[in-house]
Amino acid sequence: MSASLAMNLAPLLLGVLLAGTGAAKAFGRQVAGQAAGTVLVRVLNDGRRATLVLRATGVLELAVAGGLLAAPTTPVPGVAALVLGVGFLGYLGYARVTAPQSSCGCTARGNGPITWRAFVRAGLVAVGGATAAGARTAWWGQVVRDPVASVLLLAAVTAVLVAVSSDLDHLWLVPLRRTRLKVFGHPLVPGRDDEVPVAASVELLERSLAWVAAAPVVRSGLIDHWESDGWRFLQYAGVHDPEGAARPVTVLFAVDPRQTRDTTDNPAIRVTLIDDRTDEPVAADLLGALPTG
Amino acid sequence: MSERNGLGRRRLLTSAALGGATIVGASALGGLDADAAFAAPMPSLDPAVSTSVFVDGRVGQIRRGVLDVVEADGTHKLIQLTNATSIWKLETVTAEAVEVGDGLYARGVQMPDGSVAADAVWVNIVNLYVTIRGIERSRLHLSHGRNAMVGNIVEKKTTASFRGGALTSNLSQLRIGHHAQVLGAWRPADDSVDIARISVGH
Repeated sequence: MSASLAMNLAPLLLGVLLAGTGAAKAFGRQVAGQAAGTVLVRVLNDGRRATLVLRATGVLELAVAGGLLAAPTTPVPGVAALVLGVGFLGYLGYARVTAPQSSCGCTARGNGPITWRAFVRAGLVAVGGATAAGARTAWWGQVVRDPVASVLLLAAVTAVLVAVSSDLDHLWLVPLRRTRLKVFGHPLVPGRDDEVPVAASVELLERSLAWVAAAPVVRSGLIDHWESDGWRFLQYAGVHDPEGAARPVTVLFAVDPRQTRDTTDNPAIRVTLIDDRTDEPVAADLLGALPTG
Repeated sequence: MSERNGLGRRRLLTSAALGGATIVGASALGGLDADAAFAAPMPSLDPAVSTSVFVDGRVGQIRRGVLDVVEADGTHKLIQLTNATSIWKLETVTAEAVEVGDGLYARGVQMPDGSVAADAVWVNIVNLYVTIRGIERSRLHLSHGRNAMVGNIVEKKTTASFRGGALTSNLSQLRIGHHAQVLGAWRPADDSVDIARISVGH
């Protein structure tokens, strides 16, 4: 009884699903941009041809959908959907293996990489097609004859389809995650050591007068950092050019490892230039270069 | 750790610095950190900086400290990494951390042979405006435009800033629904992003 119920309703479910995805692919405005992210481009070697193939697939899906919805008791549309689903699976498998970062273009929406959800969706099309091929009674007749069971089955399958469509996450997944945070608490509790991250020390340095003073010398980004003798050392590379004799130097800043932008806006920072050839500190009047007053 | 920033080198630099460093106090102005990769180049009075060149592309080949970078238009640029090159890949790293296939953004000086001697290199750096869609112990679910993506929380590396405050490793104020700016390193293997900094409420 329930097997024949599923068989008789499969054309309706699959027809609506394929009509939706088919219409988005065939008539969607962003299909060209969408096609550009798919593995089709690489296979066909041409973005325009990939768009054409994607649109043609959409038209094919629409045709199968039309067949499923209008002539549910003939096995042909069901078999066509089965072939379509198997084709999708093969395409996804190929794309996943050869270009793991490419988009599948499955629903003609977002262009994220291929996920397990895409495989489940394609599998459902194949299974749905096989089921639909076994329909003996038209879906409209089935709904009239057995309304309660029909609605229950339709709701259940729709829920599964929603779950495997990332486009609909905001409807159920995000609220579910919110609830989980409320029930189980925030998973990112502050650590026991309140150590100031190096990035915060760099941020403090870059807003300091020491940084402004050393800016003409510094050429690199942060090269190394360590803590010693109560200071946090931040190492940069630079070029010191006192009177036309440029020489490579290491620019070393030492900051208080406990200070951040939140705790001080007037940090004391040690600045040292060290000649890279001699490893001797360079006597440089960095502050002399600053405008006074 | 390579020789240039090994422990011996650190010790030497530390003692040189503690010996006779200039101590400078007080405030203001720009940076050369990861943010700077996205900032418009500022006019500078320093002739060295005004002659800087920028390279943006994917690493095609690595040979003895020289990166062959393919730019978006297909042109090849050779990038030389030296002892004085800073390399960022979520954190400060050495040249060994750069891999073929990595995206790369470099600032440096044009050499007579056409190559670029890099001052600073940022690997796989991304700067995204996102909405937080889920929070787990080791990752955030984010949406960027219509796309869902995963932002990995890396211990001791991921920092956050709330309402313009200083960077902190305390991420407990993140909430689902927050709009945030994420600065991080893209992971080509699984297309996720390791978060260096997430800024909320700026």
